[in-house]
Amino acid sequence: MRINCPYCGPRGNEEFAYLGDATVRRPDPAAEDAAAQFYEYVYLRDNPAGSHRELWYHGGGCRSWLVVTRNIRTHEISDVAFADAGDKP
Amino acid sequence: MAAASVIARRGKADACAAAITAHYGVTLPTGPRRAASGDVVFAGVGPWRWIATAEGADAAEFVAQLRERLVFVAAVTDQSDARLVVRLRGPRVRDVLAKGVPVDLHPRAFKAGDVATTLVAHIGVQIDMLDDGPTYLIAAPRSMAGSFWSWLTASAAEFGYDVSRS
Amino acid sequence: MSGTHRLQSGGLIDRGKPLSFSFDCESHAGFAGDTLASALVANGVKLVGRSFKYHRPRGIFTAGSEEPNALVELRGGVRREPNTRATVTELYDGLIAASQNRWPSLRHDIGAVNDRLSRFLVAGFYYKTFMWPAKFWELLYEPLIRRAAGLGRAAGAEDPDIYEKAFAHCDVLVIGAGPAGLMATLAAGRTGARVILADEDFRLGGRLLAERCEIGGRPAVDWVAEIEAELAAMPDVRIMRRTAVTGVYDHGQYSAIERVNDHVATPPEHEPRQRSWKIVAKRAVLAAGAHERAIAFGNNDRPGVMLAGAARTYVNRFAAAPGRRLAVFTNNDDGPRTAADAREAGIEVAAVIDSRTGARVTRVRGRHGVRLIDVADADGRTSTIECDALAVSGGWNPAVHLTCHLGGKPVWNDEIAAFVPGALPPGMTVAGAAAGALTLARCLGGGMTAGVTAAAACGFAIAAITQPRADDEGAAVTAMWHVKDSRGKAFVDLQNDVTTKDVALATQEGFGSVEHLKRYTTLGMATDQGKTANVLGLAILAQASARAIPQVGTTTYRPPYVPVSFGAMAGHHRGRDFRPTRLPPSHAWATEQGAVFVEAGAWLRAQYYPRAGEADWLKTVNREVAATRAHVGVCDVSTLGKIEIEGANAGVFLDRVYANTFSTLPVGKARYGLMLREDGFVMDDGTASRLAPERFFMTTTTAQAVRVMQHLEFCHQVLWPALDVQMVSVSEQWAQFSIAGPRSRDVLAKLVDADLGDAAFPHLGCREVTACGVAARLFRLSFSGELAYELAVPARHGDATIRAIMAAGAEFGITPYGTEALGVMRIEKGHVAGNEINGQLTARDLGLGRMMSTKKDFVGRVMAQRPALLDPERPALVGFKPVDGARRLRAGAHFLKIGAGATAENDEGYMTSVAYSPMVKSWIGLGVLRRGPERIGERVRAYDPVRNGDVEVEVTSPIFVDPEGARLHG
Repeated sequence: MRINCPYCGPRGNEEFAYLGDATVRRPDPAAEDAAAQFYEYVYLRDNPAGSHRELWYHGGGCRSWLVVTRNIRTHEISDVAFADAGDKP
Repeated sequence: MAAASVIARRGKADACAAAITAHYGVTLPTGPRRAASGDVVFAGVGPWRWIATAEGADAAEFVAQLRERLVFVAAVTDQSDARLVVRLRGPRVRDVLAKGVPVDLHPRAFKAGDVATTLVAHIGVQIDMLDDGPTYLIAAPRSMAGSFWSWLTASAAEFGYDVSRS
Repeated sequence: MSGTHRLQSGGLIDRGKPLSFSFDCESHAGFAGDTLASALVANGVKLVGRSFKYHRPRGIFTAGSEEPNALVELRGGVRREPNTRATVTELYDGLIAASQNRWPSLRHDIGAVNDRLSRFLVAGFYYKTFMWPAKFWELLYEPLIRRAAGLGRAAGAEDPDIYEKAFAHCDVLVIGAGPAGLMATLAAGRTGARVILADEDFRLGGRLLAERCEIGGRPAVDWVAEIEAELAAMPDVRIMRRTAVTGVYDHGQYSAIERVNDHVATPPEHEPRQRSWKIVAKRAVLAAGAHERAIAFGNNDRPGVMLAGAARTYVNRFAAAPGRRLAVFTNNDDGPRTAADAREAGIEVAAVIDSRTGARVTRVRGRHGVRLIDVADADGRTSTIECDALAVSGGWNPAVHLTCHLGGKPVWNDEIAAFVPGALPPGMTVAGAAAGALTLARCLGGGMTAGVTAAAACGFAIAAITQPRADDEGAAVTAMWHVKDSRGKAFVDLQNDVTTKDVALATQEGFGSVEHLKRYTTLGMATDQGKTANVLGLAILAQASARAIPQVGTTTYRPPYVPVSFGAMAGHHRGRDFRPTRLPPSHAWATEQGAVFVEAGAWLRAQYYPRAGEADWLKTVNREVAATRAHVGVCDVSTLGKIEIEGANAGVFLDRVYANTFSTLPVGKARYGLMLREDGFVMDDGTASRLAPERFFMTTTTAQAVRVMQHLEFCHQVLWPALDVQMVSVSEQWAQFSIAGPRSRDVLAKLVDADLGDAAFPHLGCREVTACGVAARLFRLSFSGELAYELAVPARHGDATIRAIMAAGAEFGITPYGTEALGVMRIEKGHVAGNEINGQLTARDLGLGRMMSTKKDFVGRVMAQRPALLDPERPALVGFKPVDGARRLRAGAHFLKIGAGATAENDEGYMTSVAYSPMVKSWIGLGVLRRGPERIGERVRAYDPVRNGDVEVEVTSPIFVDPEGARLHG
């Protein structure tokens, strides 16, 4: 695979580390049902046969965490964005 | 060569760029490019991250001055001892680099002033193209200098090479 | 003289450059431009090998990389290479080759008895025969099969040659340099696009080299030369000869293998033998041509039976006659063409048997080479024809392989009775014969269109180009797979000795799926991957199971397209260069001291420093520990991960990533920190020191340094991007030495300019100092439990600093110690390390539960409170001592109650770390035991069936030395 890093340009997947689902959000640890929410956050994942937003880390390049939108059936990548949108250039 | 990592503080990217322009007279590159002012160079290595280098400068002085000038707008960290830096030039340099550099170095794709951080022979490196000679600078981690050198000399052997210290 | 079967004229060989070579110790002559196969043909050598299973005599079957039969051992000594295809081996002077799978000789082979036993050696023979009795397997069957298995012998010594990997990038990659590929390259090249043209042959032209044909009214080879010259003059067109594209990967990545110096005996100094390429291309044009297929009939494997296209190649390209009297068996227009080419070259043509008239060859006679063929006509009349070579053409299979590597399935085309590419990999187009366009004019036109289109897709404006004039030769085919009234074995897959009967048997036994057929019969496996066999096999399967071929489908085509050597896959990365080695700053000094080194991840660390007279490592380590605890020792700890963290929210950030609190840490102080994963288990430990109000310095374990950095970046960039915190690794910047022992302060006092008294610089203090004239950092940290410091200097001063420490420490008896002594001392103190932070234990398990702050949130806090993780029955950290002080302990041993049976239900935990403690004067261990802390004083069994260990141990406190911590203060 090649991932078009928004900072570095297209690079081979050997420069990246895969983490997984980018759609899950760390729950509020103060919530009453925090234990249940964290269980879902840590363990439960959908496995959509199609478009998937996932986290990749460009450790072999600019050290950015990226959100890659990838069709997991075809590997087609439709979007790559910084996980930390912040006020980046 | 003195070297420091410069990371703009959260929300201070513009202020950081302004401070560098004010003190060094260069426009801080927003992408993987280098901007030089005399012997001082700022090379983009990530979003809001640069490696600042100064040829021939005292490491401690350079880093201390940079930190003072960028106080509250950037985190400045000495990396002067962290890297082995080699300068490569010659007509077959691209053929040598093709044996490990996964980035496209064709003149249409990678031009003088361009910077790439990537992996060469599993070693994290920063590659700067200096001129159309072509001349490249490659910085590799100090602890892996031996392995990097082994790859570099093995890759260049077919074409022949000279080594000189600067 | 260059061979009994060399034609007097013609061919693309250089008759001015004769070469000599040997095959099975017999000398022969050939010319530059020959392959080993063509030179053997030119010398009348027909028998070149024995088949895999039945040891049947075999000859040269093809003229390309699809060769199933002519596999030889090439070269000798350390460069001996088995299973080399003679058809793609370029001849060089002095080439040595030998046949395989025969004993005592190729002509008289004992193994040929298998052919007589073939009634029993049918498909599935091994599965059926070697099943029972089970105990025979290891003793008898496996050695037996191992001896019989495989072809050829590996060199058995390290390969002395160089192999390389390399990267290439282009707009358009053209695969194959036949008529379609050359036109595609020319069309794309003229637009100014960056084009790579790769072809596995050493000469461009593809089938144009093998056929008598004209382009633009001139011989095709002249046209090839003209195009080659134009391409060579284009600066952005790269021609890669001897380069086979072997695989297609996602997003425009292609693998290729370049046989840089396989055509010489020994590569020139510093040059690789082979280079494996990763090519990144925006577009690709597949012009890989087609493979001719065989027809199954009796004894169709005899030496002298050859594909018709190969026969034309030997005649036209190599001026080598496959025989003096040639017969042709065909189901398509290539039959008459082959006969015409043979006659033109002066070879007698005995017959053309065209199945479209109902005629067929039922049997070949002649064991070591074709002598006679039995032929039947449409009316069943039989005759016998004398000939010494038989050219066979069963039609052409487009080389669809690379179109399928990303999951595309080929589709059946009735017109050419073959599979053609189906859905293509993104960015790829197919041109010429590979696309099923089997005639010359269509190849030229298709290639031109594909080249123009590919360049345009990369943004290049179309340049002037016209399609040269060429004829569309006849290519009509009527499928004919199997001569049903054959006599003798009719082979489908020559390399794997699979016959039509095997296919029928597999079908009958229920292996009717094409993928099952492959596994059951081995059809399509090994070096040729069934390039001449697969479609024939599944056509026969279709007939046997009364299905249409498209219903049967094909097996899955996977990379590599042609065999790739392990050397080429490894490239530079072998031996010491298998992966990068990291050397700590004291490495040169430690080498001078005679240190023994150990690999710790990528690092090479000093394990211990033996002295003359020390018989074993344990003596050395005991001395190092004792000297450190009695006097002072020094150890390079530069390998720890080191991270600087700076920003207004740095303290808050550390509070969130560590289980304990750091925001309250005063400037000038260090603190031990425990990091959890979000699932509540321990991830890493280390220290963090506050250098300035907004600047911290963190250390991680050596093993987890990279992972922790990635985790911190995740926490910042993904979880809490709003925090003002910046982090960077300084692992490479600092050399760091631990100086430990009661005299450590005395040593440091000679080196640094600071007050080291307890009041000015207490335990867990940190400060900037000048050491040996260099700006340095000093930390008062102890892993050994002794009064200890860590001195950090910029890495370039690391070597000078270790020497200065040793010089300053001499009067105090300073001793360098390695990772072993470091490990002993931390076990003596009950400090956890990688063995305990194993991903399965929690802070509570490790006795560190109280470090988990209850006043703040942090990664792992919520999940660490799960009921199962709070279960008091969970094994928890304690120490162990053998009841018999002389017994040795082993990490990995499991704990059992005394008297309890060694079953999984009785398992109470396991030993994580052991060491011989010179302080305790016995082996000691750390481990986790169910309710361990409540059971101190109890005895349990440490049971280690893997190493026959069964030791009674006493449960102790995990702290074996100085439980009060008095030594920390010197």
